[in-house]
Amino acid sequence: MTDTKVSIGREQLTSAASNEVIIEMNKVNKWYDDFHVLKDIDLVVRKGERIVVCGPSGSGKSTLIRCLNNLEEHQEGEIVVDGITLDKNLKHIDHIRTEVGMVFQSFNLFPHLSILDNLTLGPILVRKMPKAEAQANAMKYLERVKIPEQADKFPGQLSGGQQQRVAIARSLCMNPTIMLFDEPTSALDPEMIKEVLDVMVELAETGMTMIVVTHEMSFAKIVADRVIFMDQGDIVEENEPNEFFNNPQHERTQHFLSQIL
Amino acid sequence: MAIVKAEKTPARAAPLSERSLIGWLHKNIFSSSFNTILSIVTLYVIYITVNEVWHWGFADAVWFADSRRQCFEISTDGACWAGVIGWMDSIFYGRYPRDELWRINLGGLLVVLWMVPLWLPRVKAKVFIGLSTVFLYPFLAGYLFSGGGKGVFMQVMVTLAIVCLMGNTLHSVISLIKGISLPEFLIRAFGKSTAPEKTQHYLLLGILFCSFVAVYYWQSSWQVEAVSWTKWGGLFLTLVVSGIGIASALPGGIILALGRRSNLPFIRVVSIGFIELFRSVPLITVLFMATTMFPLFMPEGFVLNKLVQVIIAVCLFNACYMAETVRAGLQAIPKGQFEGAHSIGLGYWQTMGAVIMPQALKHMIPNIVGSFIGLFKDTTLVSIIGLFDILGVLRAVGKDVTWLGLHIEPLVFGALLFFLICFAMSKYSRHLEVKFSTGLKNMTPNKRNKS
Ligand SMILES: Nc1ncnc2c1ncn2[C@@H]1O[C@H](COP(=O)(O)OP(=O)(O)O)[C@@H](O)[C@H]1O
Ligand SMILES: [Mg+2]
Repeated sequence: MTDTKVSIGREQLTSAASNEVIIEMNKVNKWYDDFHVLKDIDLVVRKGERIVVCGPSGSGKSTLIRCLNNLEEHQEGEIVVDGITLDKNLKHIDHIRTEVGMVFQSFNLFPHLSILDNLTLGPILVRKMPKAEAQANAMKYLERVKIPEQADKFPGQLSGGQQQRVAIARSLCMNPTIMLFDEPTSALDPEMIKEVLDVMVELAETGMTMIVVTHEMSFAKIVADRVIFMDQGDIVEENEPNEFFNNPQHERTQHFLSQIL
Repeated sequence: MAIVKAEKTPARAAPLSERSLIGWLHKNIFSSSFNTILSIVTLYVIYITVNEVWHWGFADAVWFADSRRQCFEISTDGACWAGVIGWMDSIFYGRYPRDELWRINLGGLLVVLWMVPLWLPRVKAKVFIGLSTVFLYPFLAGYLFSGGGKGVFMQVMVTLAIVCLMGNTLHSVISLIKGISLPEFLIRAFGKSTAPEKTQHYLLLGILFCSFVAVYYWQSSWQVEAVSWTKWGGLFLTLVVSGIGIASALPGGIILALGRRSNLPFIRVVSIGFIELFRSVPLITVLFMATTMFPLFMPEGFVLNKLVQVIIAVCLFNACYMAETVRAGLQAIPKGQFEGAHSIGLGYWQTMGAVIMPQALKHMIPNIVGSFIGLFKDTTLVSIIGLFDILGVLRAVGKDVTWLGLHIEPLVFGALLFFLICFAMSKYSRHLEVKFSTGLKNMTPNKRNKS
């Protein structure tokens, strides 16, 4: 289990959630061949809301958030993101992917491109932004993640924490309305986890809608409006963080928390 | 009980056996009595071989003579290079009319001129230059080599090729001197650098159109004599066939490989069928099919010349092999790269073009160049179906009355020529590998293992 003793040293943020619904999942089911990964998932996320998803390995957390930008296809049920229903229509998928940013456990930066080119690729090719503007924009985000001096290096030359911050900046360059994080700190050495979490907390302060799969409970306590606990394809428990950690209802949640805390 | 080391251990020099020449010799050549014997025997064999080759090929060789008989009169145990020298023109150009050889040389010169910018570091738009080499140069060269009347299509293609060549060359010169691209230079020269983008585009299009018209009129006024393909031969023919094969193998291979991975069943099945069909038969069979069977299936009166059939066969065959090379390269790219690209909204072609292919091609350079070398050597098979390629010429030397029986020397010369060309390609591939590994440069080995 990941190291959970990283202290971010901050007060709990005030919620930025509005009343506007931005993600809606209705009775979503997904199978890998015969294996039922997601079982009747219902989830409503409001604009500005910050959700932390946790649960044992293999419980379907990654699959859940990857369905939201169609990296995985669901087979039953309905997913509506930003007013658009995810179906087989490629236009819808392309549109949703420009609205939804995603940060992966393994960074997935493009190793053959410089950091700056990694950041400008999407805006230039997808948003058709002029190169100079895209670069200025990219530098702005690199400053926000505090590594503007690395712009001309290649991903392989950066530390894991720096790479992950570049990955966050790369997503932000597309100016998304929703950010998904799939265990963004699990592949990092402990001393680098904090620098990434700091960037994520700052992002949360801007009012970004975030869904974060993580086991960093300190992060969840500060940032989350809601914590969701998944096990074997079910959303087992869902609560605001203080209640969730201090007073878990379901026995599987209690068992899980006793293991990681 | 704590154990604490008081001092830092100083670094020492490596043992002598790792450093000196004697140490090296001792370790690698004379490490045991058996190895010593082996080394001495090997040295002796090398000495004998080199000595023989030296005497046969240089010391006792005849360089100038009018016939094989004369060669023998001068020296009986040296090579008769005079025959090879006498046939040199044919070895390079086949039966191409001797007065028209400048066309082949010009064609060769043009391709060099076309590709030089690809090697210049300051020149941008290399992809365009590379693509235009593959898609436009063949028309210009094709006309130069075969000559005759130009149809409208050829007129247009030749014009396009010339305009493109001029543009590329100008662009490269300007990039080298001023460090800006040709379009930028033109816009500045016309004082429109502050004008809106649309005006600039129209200006550039206008210039392009004017040069097209001017070149069109100029080229329609000249024409070169027709030379039938049956007169093509020698190294020239080998280079034409393998050059077209090489130029088309990679694009063809990429398309087939993508087709094979496609989600659309029809495209996938067609690609797989095509690839497996061509890969399961030897090239020589494909060549025979193309030249003897193919015309049988065609409607009466439909005649493609044999050379074109052969070239098409070589292209298809190599595209199929290349497809498998490309597929292997694609499989080496982690799934995360696709996901990373999709997550920022790139579509299929953008993902392939900007993220996947550049990485995959980099991994594939050794294999690609390996296929190219194989392709180049395999084209000698066309001599079996009656094209007078370099191998055909080399074998014809010994059948010439003046040089009757002179078989070894031409073949040795051919072997040297092939070795030089293939070795150059292989060296160049190493160079490319190093050059394109930018993403991995400056990384400590330690980090590289991790990623
Ligand atoms: N592409 C796939 N094919 C088959 N099974 C998969 C695939 N991806 C994930 N799974 C399975 O689905 C389950 C849920 O996976 P995942 O969503 O990655 O879990 P988590 O992120 O919670 O660890 C796991 O049991 C995993 O083995
Ligand atoms: Mg996961």
